[in-house]
Amino acid sequence: MAKTETIVIADAGPIIHLDELNSLNLLTDFDKIIIPETVWQEVQHHRSQALHHATDLEFVRQSALHFSAQVDALTPLYTLHAGEQEALHLCFEFENSLLLTDDTAARLAAKNLGVTAHGTLGILVRAIRQQTHSKSEILALLRAIPTQTTLHIRASLLTEVISTVEKNTEV
Amino acid sequence: MTTIVETQIPDQLWQQAQNMVQQGWINDMDALVAEAIRRYVESHQQILSERFIQDDIEWGLHGED
Repeated sequence: MAKTETIVIADAGPIIHLDELNSLNLLTDFDKIIIPETVWQEVQHHRSQALHHATDLEFVRQSALHFSAQVDALTPLYTLHAGEQEALHLCFEFENSLLLTDDTAARLAAKNLGVTAHGTLGILVRAIRQQTHSKSEILALLRAIPTQTTLHIRASLLTEVISTVEKNTEV
Repeated sequence: MTTIVETQIPDQLWQQAQNMVQQGWINDMDALVAEAIRRYVESHQQILSERFIQDDIEWGLHGED
């Protein structure tokens, strides 16, 4: 499979949620998946098996080496946790980086910092576009979210999401 | 109208908060806790959360990477 040039900087949520869906393989076409040291420890604590997945997916465990004053300034404003903060610092270290997070505050901070960010649902639906999974496979995963994962999403919104994906005829 | 709450806060975090009050960054601990909650609520508004999910679906279906 051809890899994209995008480097993913992952927060704990999507790694845990994708593992809960047994779908971490959806990340394999990214050039590199970096897990900030603080996030690594968080995932290790809550769902260690996600870090040792038996696929060809390899995570890079990495600490931030440079610290952005912009990130530091936004940290108290958005009440960012240590992992989210380190992930945002790392986003400034790499070109073509994509922050992977399901946390609203982290998404908001990323938006203010000009950092591209997406979450678990985006990664799931992207697999249809990338033709790594069929639409029916992804719809099954979306339907499994309430019972199989710890990702919280309003039931009616998930229904809307599923409907949007079902109706989409371009993929 | 106000509500009295009882909560457990890690010692180190509490000490940091007390230091900020002592340094005059905010009037007192009541104000600091209220400000922290207000900022948390503002940054986690459901509407934002749902907008990000809709953005995700749009990117997932029609993005370029």
